[in-house]
Amino acid sequence: MSMIQMCKIAKIYPNGAPALHDIDLQIPSGAFAYITGSSGAGKSTLLRLLYCADRPTRGQILMGKRNITRLSPRKIAFLRRQIGFVFQDFKLLVNRTVLENVALPLQVQGIGIEETRARAFELLQYVGLEYKMQRKPLELSGGEQQRVAIARAMIVRPKLLLADEPTGNLDYNLALEIMDMFSRINKEGTTVLVATHDQELIQQNPHRVISLKNGHMVSDSGPDTANNTGTQNIREAL
Amino acid sequence: MKRLRYFIQRTILSMIQSPLLSGATIGTIAVALMLLAFFTLIVLNVQNITQQWSRDIQVTVYLERVPSTNKLEQWQQEIERHSVVENVTYISQEEAFERFRTRLGQNDDLLDGLLPEILPASFELSLTEEARSERGAENLVQELKKNPVFSDFRYGQDWLKRYDAFMFLLKLTGTLAGGFLIFATLFIISNTIKLTIYARRDELEIMTLIGATPMFIKIPFLTEGALQGIIGALLALGGCHALYYFFLKKGLSALLTTTAASNISFLPVPLQLGVILLGFLLGICGSMLPLRKFVRI
Repeated sequence: MSMIQMCKIAKIYPNGAPALHDIDLQIPSGAFAYITGSSGAGKSTLLRLLYCADRPTRGQILMGKRNITRLSPRKIAFLRRQIGFVFQDFKLLVNRTVLENVALPLQVQGIGIEETRARAFELLQYVGLEYKMQRKPLELSGGEQQRVAIARAMIVRPKLLLADEPTGNLDYNLALEIMDMFSRINKEGTTVLVATHDQELIQQNPHRVISLKNGHMVSDSGPDTANNTGTQNIREAL
Repeated sequence: MKRLRYFIQRTILSMIQSPLLSGATIGTIAVALMLLAFFTLIVLNVQNITQQWSRDIQVTVYLERVPSTNKLEQWQQEIERHSVVENVTYISQEEAFERFRTRLGQNDDLLDGLLPEILPASFELSLTEEARSERGAENLVQELKKNPVFSDFRYGQDWLKRYDAFMFLLKLTGTLAGGFLIFATLFIISNTIKLTIYARRDELEIMTLIGATPMFIKIPFLTEGALQGIIGALLALGGCHALYYFFLKKGLSALLTTTAASNISFLPVPLQLGVILLGFLLGICGSMLPLRKFVRI
């Protein structure tokens, strides 16, 4: 079953700058894929379309069996509750503790405080930071902050984990550590999509690689490469 | 219930976690509202004092001859029929003479050998509040002149001219300064809140990313804004009361040559509640506008 299907996706920003052209893509459930390319290739735009921060100018996107191309703000919020996010700049709330940061997505969903704290503690154990749960993010190293961000992403048991240059601010060893963590998450059944320009990292952790250049998909190679049946499935779903 | 607890908790925690931002917002609201409240306090008291002055405005109608009792009643009724006349008092020649003697004080021996008949009898007319101006007095005089018996009038024309000019200036200054102050208050408070929300735009972005609905994100910010507004308004009233007590009570009395400091009063309770309500509304509305801009899912 496909987790993500994109059909003829194009994105042109309001200022007229084209970001993506005719992207056809299918990511199966449980897959691990890299989106790679140089700066300005369209990696982040592709991810932004997946979590509905932007709408495609043309084309359709299916997540599971759901068309997410034109969702209301409220439906987008509910969709995001099934997705985990990891960003280069961690996006942690600096005035809250590590535990509060990790617990935040469950609080938003109205889960009880006891359950939220227990689950947050469990996730901090998972990333090896339970002993720093009362610290503020700025008291942690970059690698630790990223692990907190991963714990926060995983607390909702997401079906899909999106990571945009997650190792961009980290040294090589820490980057490898983070990638190992993504691999572990993927083996537990979560679909992982990582946007990165770091070719060395990709070679160290080989998975499917989708390459973009100037908004065009120029190659799709490696394990898990899906047959391009996205268009057909979308037509059926519509 | 869980949500309500979360919102209350979030509102209080957020103020504790960002003491500088909260302090800046509360401080700005407090100072701006204190200026506005203090200005209102001054205007109200000046109005009260000038209203007391205006009670002294009266028209005196001198009579050429002393009327009979019947005529006196008839004329008095005729004067009372004018709607702008609040009260009519007949001053006989004897009363006028006694008053004159009292006013002369130690020099009252000047009146020795003179009789009360040297002074004319008169009617003293006090006016209703809306007629206490030069024009009001003149209009009444024109009406009274229709009866030839009433020919000699005195109503302190020069004093009334100065009083009218002062009142006009007071109203103009009050309107201009008040309008400017209200505008400045709204501008400063809304911009301060906008800046504090801008400083927390990362928080708004993160909340949208983890699946918070727009209302879920906005409510704690709105309640925080409302609470900051109320605290700011209470501080403003406290500061205003301190200024009133230590400065205004004696200062304004001296300035307006009012002897009784007790004539200067603090803002009435409905206005105090109005200041708190204004703080509350400014806090909510000031937060609502930038939130609409920054909370975009």
